[in-house]
Amino acid sequence: MAISPTRRPDGDDDTDARGDGGTESASGQPATDSLEESQVATDTTERTTMTEEPGGDDAEGAHWTVQYARDHLAHVLVIGFFALYPGLVAVLTGIPALDIGFTTVDPGAFFDAFLPAMTFMIAMLFLGLFAMSFDFISGYTGYLSFGHAAFYGIGAYVVVMAANGDIPIVPEGTPFMLTLLLGATVAFLVALAIGAVSFRLTGVYFAMITLGFAQVIYELVRNWDYVATNPQEGPSMSGAAEIGIPYVDSLSFAIGRLAGDSFENVLGLGIDISATLTSYYAIGLVVLGCYFAMQRIIHSPFGRVMIAIRENEERARAVGYNVFWYKMAAFGMSAFFAAIAGAMFAGYRGSASPDSTFYFLVTADALIVTIVGGIGTLAGPLFGSFFFESLEDILSSQQGGLAPYLRETLPEAMLSADVAGITFLDVINTVVDGRAPLYLGIVFVLFVLFVPNGLLGSVRDRLGGTVAKRLPAHLERYRK
Amino acid sequence: MSLLELEDVHTYYGESHILQGMNLTVEEGEVVALIGRNGVGKTTTLRSILQLTAPRSGSVRFRGEDLTGNPTHEVADRGIGWVPEDRRMFGYLTVEENLRVAIDPDQEVEPLRDEMFDLFPDLARFREKEARNLSGGQQQMLAIARGIVGDNELLLVDEPSEGLAPLIVEQVVEALREVSTETTMVLVEQNFPLAMDLADRFYLIDHGTVVESGPTEGVTADDERIQRYLAA
Amino acid sequence: MIDPLTHATVDAPMLADTLSRFFQPDTLARILIEGLGKAAIYFIIAIGLTLVFGLMGILNFAHGAFAMVGAYIGGVIMVVALSSASGAFTRIALFIVVVAVVFALLTAAGSALEIKLVRPIYDRTPMYQILLTFGVGLILEELARIIVSSRGIQPEPTWSAAQATIPGFLSGPSDVLNSLFGVNIRGFYLFAIVSGAILAVAVYLFLTRTLYGLYIRAGSEDPEMVEALGIDVRKAFTIVFGLGTGLAAVGGVFLMWDPTWGPSVMLNLDVLLYAFVVVVIGGLGSFKGTLVAAVIVGVADSFTTWLFNTGIVAFSGLPEVTIFLLLVIALIIRPQGLYGVEEVGGH
Repeated sequence: MAISPTRRPDGDDDTDARGDGGTESASGQPATDSLEESQVATDTTERTTMTEEPGGDDAEGAHWTVQYARDHLAHVLVIGFFALYPGLVAVLTGIPALDIGFTTVDPGAFFDAFLPAMTFMIAMLFLGLFAMSFDFISGYTGYLSFGHAAFYGIGAYVVVMAANGDIPIVPEGTPFMLTLLLGATVAFLVALAIGAVSFRLTGVYFAMITLGFAQVIYELVRNWDYVATNPQEGPSMSGAAEIGIPYVDSLSFAIGRLAGDSFENVLGLGIDISATLTSYYAIGLVVLGCYFAMQRIIHSPFGRVMIAIRENEERARAVGYNVFWYKMAAFGMSAFFAAIAGAMFAGYRGSASPDSTFYFLVTADALIVTIVGGIGTLAGPLFGSFFFESLEDILSSQQGGLAPYLRETLPEAMLSADVAGITFLDVINTVVDGRAPLYLGIVFVLFVLFVPNGLLGSVRDRLGGTVAKRLPAHLERYRK
Repeated sequence: MSLLELEDVHTYYGESHILQGMNLTVEEGEVVALIGRNGVGKTTTLRSILQLTAPRSGSVRFRGEDLTGNPTHEVADRGIGWVPEDRRMFGYLTVEENLRVAIDPDQEVEPLRDEMFDLFPDLARFREKEARNLSGGQQQMLAIARGIVGDNELLLVDEPSEGLAPLIVEQVVEALREVSTETTMVLVEQNFPLAMDLADRFYLIDHGTVVESGPTEGVTADDERIQRYLAA
Repeated sequence: MIDPLTHATVDAPMLADTLSRFFQPDTLARILIEGLGKAAIYFIIAIGLTLVFGLMGILNFAHGAFAMVGAYIGGVIMVVALSSASGAFTRIALFIVVVAVVFALLTAAGSALEIKLVRPIYDRTPMYQILLTFGVGLILEELARIIVSSRGIQPEPTWSAAQATIPGFLSGPSDVLNSLFGVNIRGFYLFAIVSGAILAVAVYLFLTRTLYGLYIRAGSEDPEMVEALGIDVRKAFTIVFGLGTGLAAVGGVFLMWDPTWGPSVMLNLDVLLYAFVVVVIGGLGSFKGTLVAAVIVGVADSFTTWLFNTGIVAFSGLPEVTIFLLLVIALIIRPQGLYGVEEVGGH
C-alpha cells in the first residue's frame, strides 16, 4: 500500500536529484563546496550537460515531455490512491466474516482495525499540509521554524473569529474561502515581521527565537478573553465552513463531521457521500492545490536559491543573491500555507483551541512527520502524516483499532491469563489503547538514528543512486 | 627505525581527495619542513598523523607502531604535540590552565610547568592571565609550550609565523630553535627562508603528494625545482 | 504595565498607587525572595542544559523530561516512605537523600543515553541532535503517563500527594522571613535559595577546581584541541551529559515541592521552555550567564505574578508572556546572551 506513494518521487524530476546532495550533507557527509557552485552558478550548464543532445531543441523538448509525463504519472498514482481510499476502506471492511470450520476469520474486522478511518484521513490532510509548509522553510532553506504553530493558529483563529463576526471590517457571513485567504495573508505578514528580526540569527538561535515568538502569541491568545469567552478552551464557530467557489452555492461544499454537506444517490449511481467524505474530498482538493503551488515554487529558480541557502548561505550570498529577502519570502510563503492548513482544521472541527493550534507540540507533530516522511522532500511530510495518523488510528479505540480488535478476537482464556496479578487484557489496555504517542516517539527516534532521510528521502536515495553516483564526476568537471 | 613514517597515505575531506599517496619519514632529532602552496595538503598531513582526519588508506607509523585508526587522544598520549594554525588557545583559561590541560593526569604538574616557564619567561609573568588577553606572540609561545609540555617527542608545528610582526617572528623562531634541540619537529611554514633556516630537511608537497625532498642546506628560493611549485 | 488586550486603562492615580505599593519594603522583599527562590530552581535546571550545550554543542530537548522523571521518582520515594505523622526533620532528611539518589540514578541514565543514542550522531548536523533528544523526551513523557496512570495517579495537572510531602514550615509562611521583613512568604522559597546556592557553589567548584572541570571548560572552547592534547573528549561528553541529566532531575525534585509546579507530565515541555529562556538569555554555555539570567527570569516571574495577583494587571498570562518576551528580546538585542562568546555554538 505504501509502495505506490513512495515510488512517486523517483520520477519526481531531475532538479531534485541534485537536492539529494543536500540530504546527504544533512546526514553527516559534509557538502563539498563545489556542490553549491553547480546549484547556483552553473545550474543551466548542468542541465545542458545532463541532456544528451544540448544543441537540439527537439531533444530537449522530448526530454522535458518525458519528465513531465513521468512526473504526472507518479502524481496520478498518489492522487488516485487517496481519492479511491474511502471506497477501498468501505469494500475491505465490508468483507463478511467467514466460518472456516474450526474458527471464524473476519477480515472485515481486521481491516477496520488496521486501515485508518476517514476521520483520521482528514486529520492526515491538515497535518500533512501543515508539515509540508514546515518542510518548505525548514527542509529547503535549513532554518528550523520552531514557532510554526503560530501560523497554523493564526489561520485557525482568523476563520473562526471571522465566522463569529469578531474581526473588525470583516462582515459576518464572509465566505470561508475568503476568510481562509485572509488568515493566510495575516500569517504571511506576521511571518515577515517575525522573520525581519529572526533572520539575523541562524541555527539553534533561529529555532529559539521563532519558538519564543510562538510561545508569546500562544500565551496571549490563551489568556485574551476577546477571542473567546473561555480563552483557554478557544472559540467555536457559528455556521459551517464551505470550501469551493465563494458566492456560488452549487460549487460550495460545507465541511465538518456534523455540519458538512452529505449527498445521497449521487448522479443516480446509488452512491451516498457522507459529510465526512465531502470534507475529505473538499479538503483534499485544497491540500492538492497547495502542494502543487509549493512544488512549483521549489522547482523554480527561487526554490533553487532556497536550497543553495541551505547548502551554503555564504556562497549563495557571494554569488550575488540577496539571501535575506529570499529567506523572508520563503518564510512568508510557508506561513501562508501553514495558515491554510490551520484554517481548514478549524473549519472542519468548527472550533479552535490554543493547545491544538498555537502550542509548541503542534509544531512538534509537524517536525515528527516531516522527519519520518523525509525532510527536504515536499511530499514526504504527507506520507509521514499518513503513517502518523495510521498509527494513531490503530492504537486508538475511537474507530476500530488494535485494542478493541485484540479484545474481541483473542480467546477469553488468553486475555484473562494472569501473570503476577496482571492480565493480558490489562496489558492491552495500558500499553496499546491510546498509546500512539509512545510508539510514535520510538519510531521517531529510530528514524532519526537509522533513517535520517525519512521514508521518501531514503527511497529517493536508493532509486536515484545512479544520479548520485554520477554527481561527483559532474562536479569534478566544473572544478577545473 | 625512523621516528615517524607515512606510507602511501590517502586522506579525504568528504569527497575531496586531499592526500594522494603521501610518503615521508622523520628521523629522531630532525626538524623537517613541509613546504608547498596553499591547499596542497600540508595541514592535512599533520591532521592525518594525529588521526584528527583519519586517512582512508595507507599507514602512519610512530616508532614502528601503526597509528591509523587510533583515537586522537591516544595518538597524542604517545608523545606527539600539536601547535595548530591560528594557535587555538583556550582563551578563557589562564596560561597555567592551558598548560595543565596538556599535562597527563598521572604526571607531576609543577616541575613540567616550571620547565616551560623557564623556557618562556614571558609566560611565567602572565601565568594567571586568561590566554585571550595575551599578545599574538605570547599566544604563539604558549601554543608551543602547550605542544611540548610533558616531554613530547614529536612536535607538529603549523604556520608558527603567520600573522605575527617580524620582530615577534624572530622570537618565535628562536624559541622553536631551542625546542628543536630536544624535540623532533615537523614544521609547516609558508615563509620559505624561515623554513629553510629552521629545518634540516624539507619535503615539497603538491597535490597531496611529495614532489621533491632533500636537505635544506644550500637550497634557495631561486632553485628551479622549488620555483616550479612555489611560484603562484 | 498597560495591558491593551483587556482594554485596561491606566490612570495617573492608579499608577501612583502601584508605585507606592511596589516600593513598600515588604512588597519588595516578597518579590525579591520569591523571585530568587524561583531563580534558584531555574538555575539548577538550566545549568545542566548550558553545560551540555557549551561542551557538546547539543541543545538537549530531553532536558525537561529528565526534570519530570526526577520529580516523579522523588515523589514516589517521599510518598511511600513518609506517613502523615512524619516530622519536619524526617521530611527534610529524606528530601536530601532523595536528591542524592535521583542525582545518582539519572546521572547514570544520562551517561548511558549519551553512549547509546547521542554518540552515534555527533557527526550529523545539530538538527538531528535536537530531534533525537526531543524524541527521547516524548518517549519519557509517554512512559511516565502510562506508569503513572496505571497506578491510579492523574498525569495532569499535578500529583498533589507528592506535593503535600513538604513539611509544614516550608509550605506555610516562614517565621524567619516574617521576623526579618514583616511579611508572610512561603518558607519553601528560602529553602530553595539556600539549596540553590549550595548547588551553584558545588557546580562552580567542580568546574574550576577539578581536572574534569578544566577539561570541560577547555572543551567548551575547542573540543578538538582538547582531544589533540591527549584527553578523551568523548569521555568528558559522557560525563557532562550525565551530570546535566542528573542536575535536571535534581531540579525536578525541587519542583516536586514547588507550590506552582509539582510532579506532572507537563513538566517535560514547560520546564524545557523555561530552561531555554534562562540559558539563551545568559548565553549558551556560560555558568555566570546562567546564574544571572536565572535571577532575571525568576524576579521577572515573581514581579509579574505580583502585578497580576494584586489586580494591577488583569491579564492572567502576564508572567508567561513576559518570560517569553524576555527570550525574544534577548535574542534580538544580544543573541549570544549576556555572557556568551560571539562564536559560541559554532561547533
